[in-house]
Amino acid sequence: MDLLAQAASGGNSNTAEVILFVVFAVIALGAGIAMVTMRNIVHSALMLVINFLAIAGLYLGLQSAFLSIVQVIVYAGAIMVLFLFVIMLLGVDRDDLLVESNKRHLAGAVLGAGLLAAALLFGFVGTYTSAESRCGDQAPADVLRSEDTQPCVGLDEANAASDSGSVGVVADRLFTRYTFPFEVAAVLLTVATIGAMLLGRRHDRAADPAFEPSADVPDDIDVEVAMAALESQRRAAAGAPLVTDDPDVVAADRARILDDETADPSADPSAEEDGEDA
Amino acid sequence: MPIGYYFALSAMMFCIGLAGVLVRRNAIVLFMCVELMLNAVNLTLAGGSRLWGGADGQVFVFFVIVVAAAEVVVGLALIVNIFFRRGTLDVDAPRLLKG
Repeated sequence: MDLLAQAASGGNSNTAEVILFVVFAVIALGAGIAMVTMRNIVHSALMLVINFLAIAGLYLGLQSAFLSIVQVIVYAGAIMVLFLFVIMLLGVDRDDLLVESNKRHLAGAVLGAGLLAAALLFGFVGTYTSAESRCGDQAPADVLRSEDTQPCVGLDEANAASDSGSVGVVADRLFTRYTFPFEVAAVLLTVATIGAMLLGRRHDRAADPAFEPSADVPDDIDVEVAMAALESQRRAAAGAPLVTDDPDVVAADRARILDDETADPSADPSAEEDGEDA
Repeated sequence: MPIGYYFALSAMMFCIGLAGVLVRRNAIVLFMCVELMLNAVNLTLAGGSRLWGGADGQVFVFFVIVVAAAEVVVGLALIVNIFFRRGTLDVDAPRLLKG
């Protein structure tokens, strides 16, 4: 904890920051690789939680305490709970699709991602790894100032100037220059909530015409018998054999079909067949 | 320590997520890999915020988190719907639009 606080406060704690970075970077990378390669989706999601927590630690090292807290609350808390909730709801713990994937595609994907990583590391990151772009400790004054290196400004002054540290710094910007995007973000969240409600709505089965009860069933009939008859009629219409051998149900069904002139003609043969069986 | 190490870690995490998106076929795992990529980008933004000493990077991270939350809510609702209709989470399975 002391280490975290020291790194978050910045200043002269270069060693603290290096230790913090190495520990959390190893955890983040390991958890990320484990998440991609694991077959059990629940384990995969838990690995992602570990990864998010490690990133929250890295935010502390970057003097962004506000982001660290938001990361834990929103990502590791809310979003991952939503993921786990859906995984448990659908009951899809095991990912059997992983073993079916094409080996050549797999090798190509890994190779492509590796190439992109190499390109990023050598093309983009290299500029910022010089001694000059060191943050957190006093940059040596005699470091050569060249054109292609970026000096690190750091957030020490900004955090110190604000009376509530990193939170105040972010809030100042958020409610002055970025007020309109902030409002738009609120609208976006509302739209997402409404959209999720509409998408998650259960569709009523009775709206489907295939399951609509036919209007030719008399009203004074016993409900259970009527339901059984409807079920048998539906099965017969679908071409499936009757599974019930309850004589009462079969007799009621037969009587109803014989009584009813407007009955579906396709229902008759199978019903009679079943009557003979009974 | 140089801020570039944070960028290097971020690049590697982004590529792990990218490899996951390309390799995995389960829709939920695909979503989690996208989250990993978003987090890698967030780390870069926070690093840039420290490098240049401004709060804009952190505000950007804040907005990315908001958009990611909205995206996850709608995306998971879609996944649940697709699973109830088709009975599978395989992203290669729906071929309705294939010519």
